[in-house]
Amino acid sequence: MAGLLDVVMLVLPLVTGLAVGYYLRGKPFNVGKIFLGVVLMLIFSLGFSIGSNTELLAVMPNVAFNALVLLVLALLFSILSVKATQKLVKI
Amino acid sequence: MIRYVLPTLAVGILAGYLNNNFGFPQLNVVFSDYTYSLSLFILLFLMGVLFAADEKATAKMRQAKLKILVFPLAVALGSVIGGLVGGIILRINIFASMGVRAGYGWYTLAGPLVGQLFGLEWGALGFTVNLFRELITIASAPLTAKLDRYAPIAMGGATAMDTTLPIIVRYCGQDMLIIAFSSGFILTMAAPFTITAIAAINR
Repeated sequence: MAGLLDVVMLVLPLVTGLAVGYYLRGKPFNVGKIFLGVVLMLIFSLGFSIGSNTELLAVMPNVAFNALVLLVLALLFSILSVKATQKLVKI
Repeated sequence: MIRYVLPTLAVGILAGYLNNNFGFPQLNVVFSDYTYSLSLFILLFLMGVLFAADEKATAKMRQAKLKILVFPLAVALGSVIGGLVGGIILRINIFASMGVRAGYGWYTLAGPLVGQLFGLEWGALGFTVNLFRELITIASAPLTAKLDRYAPIAMGGATAMDTTLPIIVRYCGQDMLIIAFSSGFILTMAAPFTITAIAAINR
Protein backbone atom coordinates (compact mmCIF):
# COMPACT_ATOMS: atom_id res chain seq x y z
CA MET A 1 0.00 0.00 0.00
CA ALA A 2 2.88 2.39 0.61
CA GLY A 3 4.17 4.80 -2.00
CA LEU A 4 3.05 8.24 -3.05
CA LEU A 5 0.81 6.95 -5.85
CA ASP A 6 -1.18 4.74 -3.47
CA VAL A 7 -1.71 7.63 -1.08
CA VAL A 8 -2.99 9.80 -3.95
CA MET A 9 -5.27 6.93 -4.99
CA LEU A 10 -6.88 6.95 -1.52
CA VAL A 11 -7.08 10.71 -1.04
CA LEU A 12 -8.41 11.44 -4.54
CA PRO A 13 -11.74 9.54 -4.27
CA LEU A 14 -12.29 10.98 -0.78
CA VAL A 15 -11.76 14.56 -1.95
CA THR A 16 -13.94 14.01 -5.04
CA GLY A 17 -16.64 12.62 -2.75
CA LEU A 18 -16.39 15.66 -0.47
CA ALA A 19 -16.87 17.99 -3.47
CA VAL A 20 -19.87 16.00 -4.76
CA GLY A 21 -21.40 15.84 -1.28
CA TYR A 22 -21.08 19.60 -0.88
CA TYR A 23 -23.13 20.09 -4.07
CA LEU A 24 -25.73 17.57 -2.88
CA ARG A 25 -26.35 19.50 0.36
CA GLY A 26 -30.05 19.82 1.09
CA LYS A 27 -31.01 17.49 -1.76
CA PRO A 28 -32.40 14.10 -0.77
CA PHE A 29 -30.33 11.07 -1.72
CA ASN A 30 -29.90 7.59 -0.29
CA VAL A 31 -26.79 5.46 -0.73
CA GLY A 32 -27.31 3.18 2.29
CA LYS A 33 -27.85 0.00 0.25
CA ILE A 34 -24.93 0.64 -2.14
CA PHE A 35 -22.74 1.50 0.85
CA LEU A 36 -23.45 -1.81 2.59
CA GLY A 37 -22.96 -3.72 -0.66
CA VAL A 38 -19.55 -2.18 -1.28
CA VAL A 39 -18.48 -2.65 2.36
CA LEU A 40 -19.30 -6.35 2.04
CA MET A 41 -17.33 -6.51 -1.23
CA LEU A 42 -14.33 -4.97 0.56
CA ILE A 43 -14.62 -7.28 3.57
CA PHE A 44 -14.98 -10.33 1.32
CA SER A 45 -11.83 -9.33 -0.59
CA LEU A 46 -10.00 -8.78 2.70
CA GLY A 47 -11.05 -12.24 3.87
CA PHE A 48 -10.07 -13.75 0.53
CA SER A 49 -6.58 -12.28 0.67
CA ILE A 50 -6.13 -13.54 4.25
CA GLY A 51 -7.46 -17.02 3.40
CA SER A 52 -5.25 -17.37 0.35
CA ASN A 53 -2.12 -16.18 2.18
CA THR A 54 -0.59 -19.60 2.95
CA GLU A 55 2.51 -18.03 4.50
CA LEU A 56 0.40 -16.16 7.03
CA LEU A 57 -1.87 -19.11 7.84
CA ALA A 58 1.13 -21.42 8.35
CA VAL A 59 2.89 -19.24 10.94
CA MET A 60 -0.22 -18.13 12.83
CA PRO A 61 -0.69 -21.07 15.26
CA ASN A 62 2.93 -20.79 16.49
CA VAL A 63 2.66 -17.18 17.54
CA ALA A 64 -1.04 -16.88 18.35
CA PHE A 65 -0.64 -16.72 22.14
CA ASN A 66 2.05 -14.03 22.17
CA ALA A 67 0.11 -12.16 19.51
CA LEU A 68 -3.07 -12.11 21.60
CA VAL A 69 -1.29 -10.88 24.74
CA LEU A 70 0.51 -8.11 22.84
CA LEU A 71 -2.69 -7.18 21.05
CA VAL A 72 -4.82 -6.84 24.18
CA LEU A 73 -2.15 -4.70 25.89
CA ALA A 74 -1.60 -2.47 22.88
CA LEU A 75 -5.32 -1.89 22.41
CA LEU A 76 -5.73 -1.13 26.10
CA PHE A 77 -2.87 1.37 26.14
CA SER A 78 -3.98 2.97 22.86
CA ILE A 79 -7.46 3.58 24.21
CA LEU A 80 -6.14 4.85 27.56
CA SER A 81 -3.69 7.21 25.93
CA VAL A 82 -6.39 8.52 23.59
CA LYS A 83 -8.68 9.07 26.59
CA ALA A 84 -5.92 10.99 28.39
CA THR A 85 -5.29 13.08 25.27
CA GLN A 86 -9.00 13.88 24.98
CA LYS A 87 -8.91 15.28 28.51
CA LEU A 88 -5.70 17.22 27.81
CA VAL A 89 -6.75 18.95 24.59
CA LYS A 90 -10.50 18.82 25.28
CA ILE A 91 -11.83 17.36 22.03
CA MET B 1 -24.14 -3.81 9.52
CA ILE B 2 -21.87 -6.00 11.65
CA ARG B 3 -24.39 -8.85 11.26
CA TYR B 4 -23.42 -8.99 7.59
CA VAL B 5 -19.77 -8.02 7.91
CA LEU B 6 -18.56 -10.87 10.13
CA PRO B 7 -20.16 -13.73 8.14
CA THR B 8 -18.87 -12.13 4.92
CA LEU B 9 -15.37 -12.01 6.38
CA ALA B 10 -15.59 -15.68 7.39
CA VAL B 11 -16.91 -16.70 3.96
CA GLY B 12 -14.13 -14.65 2.33
CA ILE B 13 -11.40 -16.35 4.38
CA LEU B 14 -12.87 -19.78 3.61
CA ALA B 15 -13.26 -18.97 -0.09
CA GLY B 16 -9.68 -17.71 -0.28
CA TYR B 17 -8.39 -20.78 1.50
CA LEU B 18 -10.34 -23.24 -0.66
CA ASN B 19 -9.50 -21.42 -3.86
CA ASN B 20 -5.83 -21.37 -3.00
CA ASN B 21 -5.79 -25.12 -2.44
CA PHE B 22 -8.26 -26.42 -4.99
CA GLY B 23 -9.23 -23.57 -7.30
CA PHE B 24 -7.72 -21.05 -9.66
CA PRO B 25 -4.66 -19.11 -8.42
CA GLN B 26 -5.51 -16.30 -10.87
CA LEU B 27 -8.54 -15.46 -8.71
CA ASN B 28 -6.20 -14.42 -5.88
CA VAL B 29 -5.15 -11.34 -7.80
CA VAL B 30 -8.74 -10.54 -8.76
CA PHE B 31 -9.98 -10.48 -5.17
CA SER B 32 -6.87 -9.47 -3.23
CA ASP B 33 -6.05 -6.64 -5.63
CA TYR B 34 -8.81 -5.57 -8.02
CA THR B 35 -12.08 -5.89 -6.09
CA TYR B 36 -10.27 -4.83 -2.90
CA SER B 37 -8.95 -1.59 -4.41
CA LEU B 38 -12.12 -0.92 -6.39
CA SER B 39 -14.43 -1.26 -3.39
CA LEU B 40 -12.06 0.86 -1.31
CA PHE B 41 -12.15 3.70 -3.88
CA ILE B 42 -15.95 3.58 -4.13
CA LEU B 43 -16.29 3.58 -0.33
CA LEU B 44 -13.95 6.53 0.18
CA PHE B 45 -15.92 8.43 -2.47
CA LEU B 46 -19.28 7.57 -0.83
CA MET B 47 -18.01 8.45 2.64
CA GLY B 48 -16.81 11.80 1.31
CA VAL B 49 -20.24 12.46 -0.19
CA LEU B 50 -22.10 11.53 3.01
CA PHE B 51 -19.77 13.63 5.17
CA ALA B 52 -19.84 16.80 3.06
CA ALA B 53 -23.62 16.60 2.65
CA ASP B 54 -24.07 16.38 6.42
CA GLU B 55 -23.96 19.95 7.73
CA LYS B 56 -23.86 18.91 11.39
CA ALA B 57 -20.84 16.67 10.81
CA THR B 58 -18.88 19.37 8.98
CA ALA B 59 -19.68 21.92 11.72
CA LYS B 60 -18.34 19.57 14.42
CA MET B 61 -15.25 19.00 12.34
CA ARG B 62 -14.59 22.73 12.09
CA GLN B 63 -14.65 22.96 15.91
CA ALA B 64 -12.04 20.22 16.34
CA LYS B 65 -9.51 21.88 13.97
CA LEU B 66 -5.87 20.89 14.43
CA LYS B 67 -6.56 19.04 17.64
CA ILE B 68 -7.20 15.94 15.54
CA LEU B 69 -3.48 15.75 14.83
CA VAL B 70 -2.60 14.80 18.42
CA PHE B 71 -4.87 11.79 18.07
CA PRO B 72 -2.61 9.50 16.03
CA LEU B 73 0.31 10.44 18.30
CA ALA B 74 -1.63 9.17 21.30
CA VAL B 75 -2.50 5.96 19.43
CA ALA B 76 1.13 5.40 18.43
CA LEU B 77 2.39 6.03 21.97
CA GLY B 78 -0.21 3.67 23.47
CA SER B 79 0.59 0.93 20.96
CA VAL B 80 4.33 1.04 21.62
CA ILE B 81 3.86 1.17 25.43
CA GLY B 82 1.54 -1.83 25.07
CA GLY B 83 4.32 -3.62 23.17
CA LEU B 84 6.84 -2.76 25.90
CA VAL B 85 4.64 -4.00 28.75
CA GLY B 86 3.70 -7.10 26.74
CA GLY B 87 7.35 -7.85 26.03
CA ILE B 88 8.19 -7.61 29.74
CA ILE B 89 5.26 -9.84 30.76
CA LEU B 90 6.00 -12.47 28.10
CA ARG B 91 9.77 -12.28 28.75
CA ILE B 92 10.58 -11.76 25.09
CA ASN B 93 12.84 -9.19 23.41
CA ILE B 94 11.14 -5.91 24.34
CA PHE B 95 12.46 -4.09 21.27
CA ALA B 96 11.05 -6.73 18.98
CA SER B 97 7.69 -6.67 20.78
CA MET B 98 7.58 -2.86 20.49
CA GLY B 99 8.58 -3.09 16.82
CA VAL B 100 5.81 -5.59 16.20
CA ARG B 101 3.25 -3.21 17.70
CA ALA B 102 4.60 -0.23 15.77
CA GLY B 103 2.92 -1.68 12.67
CA TYR B 104 -0.31 -0.11 14.03
CA GLY B 105 -2.42 -2.77 12.30
CA TRP B 106 -0.76 -2.59 8.89
CA TYR B 107 0.07 -6.29 8.74
CA THR B 108 1.28 -6.47 5.13
CA LEU B 109 4.02 -4.00 6.11
CA ALA B 110 4.76 -5.11 9.67
CA GLY B 111 5.17 -8.81 8.79
CA PRO B 112 7.93 -8.48 6.18
CA LEU B 113 9.64 -5.42 7.71
CA VAL B 114 9.84 -6.79 11.26
CA GLY B 115 10.95 -10.13 9.80
CA GLN B 116 13.77 -8.41 7.95
CA LEU B 117 14.93 -6.30 10.90
CA PHE B 118 14.47 -8.68 13.85
CA GLY B 119 14.41 -12.15 12.27
CA LEU B 120 11.81 -14.37 10.63
CA GLU B 121 10.05 -15.60 13.78
CA TRP B 122 9.33 -11.98 14.71
CA GLY B 123 7.96 -11.40 11.23
CA ALA B 124 5.37 -14.09 11.90
CA LEU B 125 4.39 -12.35 15.11
CA GLY B 126 4.26 -8.99 13.31
CA PHE B 127 1.92 -10.45 10.72
CA THR B 128 -0.42 -12.08 13.21
CA VAL B 129 -0.58 -9.34 15.83
CA ASN B 130 -1.42 -6.66 13.28
CA LEU B 131 -3.94 -8.81 11.43
CA PHE B 132 -5.72 -9.56 14.72
CA ARG B 133 -5.79 -5.84 15.45
CA GLU B 134 -7.69 -5.21 12.22
CA LEU B 135 -10.09 -8.13 12.69
CA ILE B 136 -10.87 -7.34 16.34
CA THR B 137 -11.44 -3.66 15.52
CA ILE B 138 -14.05 -4.67 12.93
CA ALA B 139 -15.71 -7.26 15.16
CA SER B 140 -15.87 -5.14 18.31
CA ALA B 141 -16.66 -1.70 16.83
CA PRO B 142 -20.42 -1.74 17.70
CA LEU B 143 -19.51 -2.44 21.33
CA THR B 144 -16.43 -0.24 21.77
CA ALA B 145 -18.09 2.71 20.02
CA LYS B 146 -20.73 2.67 22.75
CA LEU B 147 -18.10 2.75 25.50
CA ASP B 148 -16.12 5.57 23.90
CA ARG B 149 -16.71 7.20 20.53
CA TYR B 150 -12.98 7.44 19.89
CA ALA B 151 -12.09 3.88 20.92
CA PRO B 152 -12.61 2.20 17.50
CA ILE B 153 -10.36 4.83 15.87
CA ALA B 154 -7.63 4.11 18.44
CA MET B 155 -8.04 0.38 17.93
CA GLY B 156 -8.06 0.65 14.14
CA GLY B 157 -4.64 2.34 14.10
CA ALA B 158 -3.33 2.59 10.56
CA THR B 159 -6.33 0.70 9.14
CA ALA B 160 -8.65 3.57 10.15
CA MET B 161 -7.95 5.10 6.72
CA ASP B 162 -9.12 2.08 4.72
CA THR B 163 -10.55 -1.29 5.81
CA THR B 164 -11.96 -0.30 9.18
CA LEU B 165 -13.05 3.22 8.12
CA PRO B 166 -16.58 2.30 6.90
CA ILE B 167 -17.27 0.43 10.12
CA ILE B 168 -15.89 3.26 12.28
CA VAL B 169 -18.04 5.83 10.46
CA ARG B 170 -21.12 3.62 10.77
CA TYR B 171 -20.81 3.11 14.53
CA CYS B 172 -19.02 6.29 15.72
CA GLY B 173 -20.87 8.80 13.56
CA GLN B 174 -20.45 10.71 10.33
CA ASP B 175 -18.44 13.51 11.94
CA MET B 176 -15.63 11.04 12.76
CA LEU B 177 -14.73 10.53 9.09
CA ILE B 178 -11.90 13.06 8.83
CA ILE B 179 -10.53 12.33 12.32
CA ALA B 180 -10.44 8.58 11.60
CA PHE B 181 -9.01 9.00 8.08
CA SER B 182 -6.29 11.44 9.13
CA SER B 183 -5.37 9.31 12.14
CA GLY B 184 -5.07 6.22 9.93
CA PHE B 185 -3.17 8.23 7.32
CA ILE B 186 -0.58 9.58 9.77
CA LEU B 187 -0.11 6.18 11.41
CA THR B 188 0.32 4.55 7.99
CA MET B 189 3.05 7.08 7.19
CA ALA B 190 4.64 6.63 10.63
CA ALA B 191 4.66 2.81 10.77
CA PRO B 192 7.75 2.11 8.61
CA PHE B 193 9.73 4.85 10.39
CA THR B 194 8.84 3.75 13.93
CA ILE B 195 9.59 0.09 13.21
CA THR B 196 12.98 0.97 11.72
CA ALA B 197 13.76 3.41 14.56
CA ILE B 198 13.01 0.81 17.24
CA ALA B 199 15.16 -1.72 15.35
CA ALA B 200 17.99 0.84 15.30
CA ILE B 201 17.88 1.27 19.10
CA ASN B 202 17.96 -2.53 19.45
CA ARG B 203 21.38 -2.77 17.79
